[in-house]
Amino acid sequence: MSNDTPETRDKSGRFLSRAAEKAHDLHTVSDEGIHPMAKVLFGWTEAKNIGAIMFWGVGALGAALIVLDVFIQRHEYFGFANWTGFYGLYGFACFTFVVLMGWPLGNLLRRGENYYGDAGGPPADVDPEMPLPPESAQPTYEGDD
Amino acid sequence: MPAFLTALNPGWLMILAGVVAIFLPMRRVRQGITIAAPLLGIALLVMADQNVNHLTASVMGLDLVLYRVDGLSFVFGLAFLLAALLNSIYAWHTDNRLQDGMALAYAGAAIAAAFSADLMTLFIFWEITAVTSVFMVLAAGTRAAYFASMRYLAIQVLSGVLLLAGACYVYNNTGSLGMKAFVSLREPGAMLIFIALGIKAAFPFMHNWLQDSYPKASVVGAVVLSAFTTKLAVYAFIRMFPGQDALIWIGAVMTVFPVFFAVIENDLRKVLAYSLNNQVGFMICAIGLGSAGVGNALALNGATAHAFVHIIYKGLLFMSMGAVLYRTGTTKASELGGLYRSMPWTALFCIIGAMSISAFPLFSGFVAKSLTMSAVSHEGLTVVWLMLLFASAGVMEHSGIKIPYFAFFGHDSGRRVKEAPFNMLLAMGMGAFICIAVGIPAIVPGLGYEWLYNLLPYREEAMSYQPFTFDHILTQMQLLVLATFAFIVLKRFGLYPPEKPGTILDTDWAYRKIGFGLAQWMGTVWGKVGPAMTAVFLGISSRAYERIEAAFSPRGELARGALTGAMAIWTAALLGLVLLLAFVTVG
Repeated sequence: MSNDTPETRDKSGRFLSRAAEKAHDLHTVSDEGIHPMAKVLFGWTEAKNIGAIMFWGVGALGAALIVLDVFIQRHEYFGFANWTGFYGLYGFACFTFVVLMGWPLGNLLRRGENYYGDAGGPPADVDPEMPLPPESAQPTYEGDD
Repeated sequence: MPAFLTALNPGWLMILAGVVAIFLPMRRVRQGITIAAPLLGIALLVMADQNVNHLTASVMGLDLVLYRVDGLSFVFGLAFLLAALLNSIYAWHTDNRLQDGMALAYAGAAIAAAFSADLMTLFIFWEITAVTSVFMVLAAGTRAAYFASMRYLAIQVLSGVLLLAGACYVYNNTGSLGMKAFVSLREPGAMLIFIALGIKAAFPFMHNWLQDSYPKASVVGAVVLSAFTTKLAVYAFIRMFPGQDALIWIGAVMTVFPVFFAVIENDLRKVLAYSLNNQVGFMICAIGLGSAGVGNALALNGATAHAFVHIIYKGLLFMSMGAVLYRTGTTKASELGGLYRSMPWTALFCIIGAMSISAFPLFSGFVAKSLTMSAVSHEGLTVVWLMLLFASAGVMEHSGIKIPYFAFFGHDSGRRVKEAPFNMLLAMGMGAFICIAVGIPAIVPGLGYEWLYNLLPYREEAMSYQPFTFDHILTQMQLLVLATFAFIVLKRFGLYPPEKPGTILDTDWAYRKIGFGLAQWMGTVWGKVGPAMTAVFLGISSRAYERIEAAFSPRGELARGALTGAMAIWTAALLGLVLLLAFVTVG
């Protein structure tokens, strides 16, 4: 609470001002440009070893869903879809296939940004007070040294 | 309600409001109109009686039905009106008369088309959507947007012309312009109309206009574009081609091929454009099920429900990428990352949109896509079902994970920007609310997914369908969780291809490189051959003129005295010849 709050304010007033201050804090961006809600909503993504936690956590959840499937008698229209874990394994296989196809397809189909001769800046209705992008956000190209 | 209000097509109201908005310089008044018009439109629609011709006209002997609401058009009309309302809120921070007005007129044309019940009225509003929507691309004001908008306009108008030609055939054959379901594509005009709708629905090989223009549109423009054109085509397909076998395979291919482009595409708005294609594929596939001319009730409900929820969550995803573009000036995955620090609300709404499109239980995509998937399996179409399931994992990849991950998480780009303006957050928040409200179980009867199912054209079939069965939730969660796990594994072991800047070639290469190159080459050739040919012609004609002049002019060869003398001899010789001939013949 700020120091210039009068001492004589009643309890409800103090409560309200504290709530207002809290609300103010929740939309005041810090000096580092971090929005306070970022911590509340997504602070957990900054946890140490988040990669390992996600790997084991999601892996365990997936395994649990497949194990659960063992005990459930599903009634599918296609016989093969009744196999334990069919959906999970199919989803895993399809996702992996699509992503891995990204390597050869990228090499085959990717051309320079100005391939059609029309590369350019952003549209006219972007924020006029937009800050300049930091060095790290500049596009880097393979072979840039 | 006064008679003129019951006869007022909400689409016409929107078009009228749009035209007024274009000429209204007072910014807040104009924007007030853009918000009030869809609200009023929703009120008019809700109060309109169904299955009644509210407005008809007879022009040059053609009977036109200008306003008719039924179970199918109601859902599409309502979705379009809701989208128009959210778009107007999203655009509150801008001050662009043309964009405000045209966006409203574009939405209005799509709505009016959905409520028209004859081919000629459909054609007119079909063309108005083309002409008004092009301003969404032009509003970007860049060179790339200008060229893309011209390609866009040409293709959209071509679709309209084909529709008109098809309508003429139908009229010639049946004497009526009424919109009815075709039983066969061999009926006169059916194929022309099929292709016209196919262009707007972005069928494979006719899809490039979408990926070409949407990502180059303005921040607000792309959001507006995402809602109407393709879904209007889906509506028209449900109306005119239910149960056409061809649609099953076209739809299945549509769901699969964009997945591969989306994974390598760097521009996240273009990824969303490919994702749009993939989602429309689900709807098209559903429309093709069942017997020709009738369709499959479960599947048609699926296509309609999918269109409704898709309009909202795709709009939401485009809004979130629009907010990123607005604040950072780019949507290229290679230049973004870590934006949740600056834009946590936008990130949250984007994730809600991503979970909806991926069909997570409790989100809107789940209750809509389930209908289609069930219908496909009921028909025993194994390969198609496997293709759609493959595409579901693909959606999880490009829209469920790629969009939020590369924009808001992943490698921190170091960009520290402001959160999106409040009006953008409000529009996104409303979209996110609809995504969840429609996706949750009906704890209160009539709300949750039942609210949407109640609106569907085959209401009884919809209400007897249970999306929230244990089997269903388990299998869907397996698919999505294991797909997410695949992402984590691939990332962890460095197998996920890095986001690189570049242009990804698609089939539009054929006309943008070869076609354009050919046209340019012909231009160059003509530029050189033309003058050369002109020179040759000029040379020949001037030489001929010189010769003629040399012979016939007063100073010419024929005017010389020598010839005059010789003439007497020639005359005598000819006379002798004639006499000789006469003598011989008589003799």
